[in-house]
Amino acid sequence: MAVRITGLGLISAIGLTVAENLYSLENGKSGIAPVKYLDSERDFLVGEVKCSNAELSDHLGIKAQPISRTSLLGLTAAREAWGNNRYTNELRTGIISATSVGGMDTTEQFYQDYLDKNDPDYAVLRCHDSGNTTERIAAELGISGYINTLSTACSSGANAIMLGARLIEQGKLDRVLVGGTDALTNFTINGFRSLMIYDDRWCRPFDESRTGLNLGEGAAFLLLENDKSIRFSGNSTICCLSGWANAADAYHQTASSPEGTGATMAIQNAIDVSGLSALDISYVNAHGTGTKNNDLSESTAMINVFGDNIPDFSSTKPFTGHTLAAAGAIEAVFSVLAIQKGLIFPNLNYKTPIAETGLVPIMELQKDQPVLAVLSNSFGFGGNNSSLVFSVHR
Amino acid sequence: MYINAASTISHQPTFQNAGFSKLIEPLENSSELISPNYKEYIDAGLLRRMSKILRMSVAAAKDCLKQAEIEQPGAIIVGTGLGCLQDTEKFLNTFLSVEGLLPPTSFIQSTHNTIAGQISLSIGNHGYNMTHTQNTLSFEHALIDTSLLLSEGRDNIVAGAADEHIPFLEEAAEKLNLPSKNNLTSGASFFVLSKEKSDRSLARLKDVRTIGLVQDIDTEIDSFLSDNFLNVSEVDLILYSDLSPRVESVANKYFNEHYHADSKMINYTKLSGLYPTNSAFAMHYGIDRIQQHPELKKVLVLNGLNKINLGLTLIESLET
Repeated sequence: MAVRITGLGLISAIGLTVAENLYSLENGKSGIAPVKYLDSERDFLVGEVKCSNAELSDHLGIKAQPISRTSLLGLTAAREAWGNNRYTNELRTGIISATSVGGMDTTEQFYQDYLDKNDPDYAVLRCHDSGNTTERIAAELGISGYINTLSTACSSGANAIMLGARLIEQGKLDRVLVGGTDALTNFTINGFRSLMIYDDRWCRPFDESRTGLNLGEGAAFLLLENDKSIRFSGNSTICCLSGWANAADAYHQTASSPEGTGATMAIQNAIDVSGLSALDISYVNAHGTGTKNNDLSESTAMINVFGDNIPDFSSTKPFTGHTLAAAGAIEAVFSVLAIQKGLIFPNLNYKTPIAETGLVPIMELQKDQPVLAVLSNSFGFGGNNSSLVFSVHR
Repeated sequence: MYINAASTISHQPTFQNAGFSKLIEPLENSSELISPNYKEYIDAGLLRRMSKILRMSVAAAKDCLKQAEIEQPGAIIVGTGLGCLQDTEKFLNTFLSVEGLLPPTSFIQSTHNTIAGQISLSIGNHGYNMTHTQNTLSFEHALIDTSLLLSEGRDNIVAGAADEHIPFLEEAAEKLNLPSKNNLTSGASFFVLSKEKSDRSLARLKDVRTIGLVQDIDTEIDSFLSDNFLNVSEVDLILYSDLSPRVESVANKYFNEHYHADSKMINYTKLSGLYPTNSAFAMHYGIDRIQQHPELKKVLVLNGLNKINLGLTLIESLET
């Protein structure tokens, strides 16, 4: 399998564009800092996009309100990925976005006012549902027809990319914008705190001392095209999405199985679909949230699949924070950049290997690497596990 | 693809009640969800913590597997418009009003993927697991995903949709000036979809399409029917949602040119009540009608519940 990737868009705590994100990755600049833009009671460490909603709206030229921050972030990244492509009736164009919070950023403000009987603005509820965030992005870009939203917690973004690839492979669409977006909310911060997996210090993926994640926010989109679409657009191919798989862990509502059952299946099946062998994988962009449970389960899954030949791997969440439904899409763009620029990104904040597995991630930026194939993992709660394989275009 | 099992929990006597389409009448204002004895389907310990949408979905999905005599489906695909509202509201209330340590259960169960996740957990299924949430088209998107998977070689897929009512919805609808003629209700419908016809097959799902941000409704209906080599006069029954005025005028005009008997068009929202994925109820209703009336060959579900979205689903009897 091989679906061409021809456009990228990205906004996260480390930059408002793909180029800004790349600069931060190359220079080891994390975007995680005490909360500034979200109206929050405490100084949690978060990966916020360094823009207010007013600045985002202004930048996008959005007048119609209300609009959720989730839609604003998504639209910023989707516009960048869409670039100067033109709409045409000749091509079947679709959009698939992923979100876990939808318009919760506006709903939770409404609900506080509602509980306080402080003149709540019911109008914002129109942007609560997850599907609305995508409809809003589609409307601004002028896309109609196949418009869809997936919500599978932390694997949502990867699933959106996979579904887009499958629709192209089966000839249902000629091109499709795929990605994910999630805004930071008090709902999710409090949720992960209630699960006792929110770290008040910097998250430390794959480190023995890790105690949890830092949440982030952002969005990323990729443009996938078939040959017919390329003939029309003339776009050059950056690289290919060549493998994908989704498997259920069916172990626990939130925890991953210690044997990494679902994760192992997702990784192995994605590599199988790509037609590559495990030895062909140059780099793994890990899910690596920094929770005790995920990183152990994911390490075990990597050992299950790669044995003694573990490829270079790292988690980039110490740069961006865990961006939930956007994570799989943001990390897909990072994986594409790794191939395009010959880079392997460092796993910040790492010191000591996990006792049970002993795996050591990449700690310093590696330049001028022959990165031919990258595996990107996204493992969500609810037992949703997805893996993607990106490879050079031949 | 073939529909080999169907199960619905709703405000109507739909559950384990083949032939219900002959019995049911439009809902009264006072209607309530008709719940089966969930303990027959769900472990008592788990059941205690489950919200309405989870109970309905797990029970309906398990009932489908039983009907189809399948232990492990090839995949579990769920559509939901608004997701787990009861737990979402509960966690909003908790974290906005409680200081200190919060109980995590309502947060865990607030995410949309809890529905498909709980089905996979309850049967120990490791297959493809997906949740679509595209407003009023969530169910149709789940069906499209199912058809892709069947082409990719998976089989016996559990696909369905669910949405749950919470009292806050009436309040929100009133404040947003969306007074509905219909009751706001809950419902869950699940199906087993398979590649091959079997002794248990109920009907064939011929085609399904979604058009988001739809511009020209009758052109879309035309092209859907012509892609299926059908004239509109060959459709024996049209199940339509409670259409928005814009969609209704177009649809009425369109279909009145071909139909003169009102009985060929049935407003399913009057039967199911209003929830974002009630087109899944319509599909089960259509299947049940086909079982009861052998002369029905082709049934079209026309989902225009939301004026910006159009869903089209074509069901055929096995004799077609």
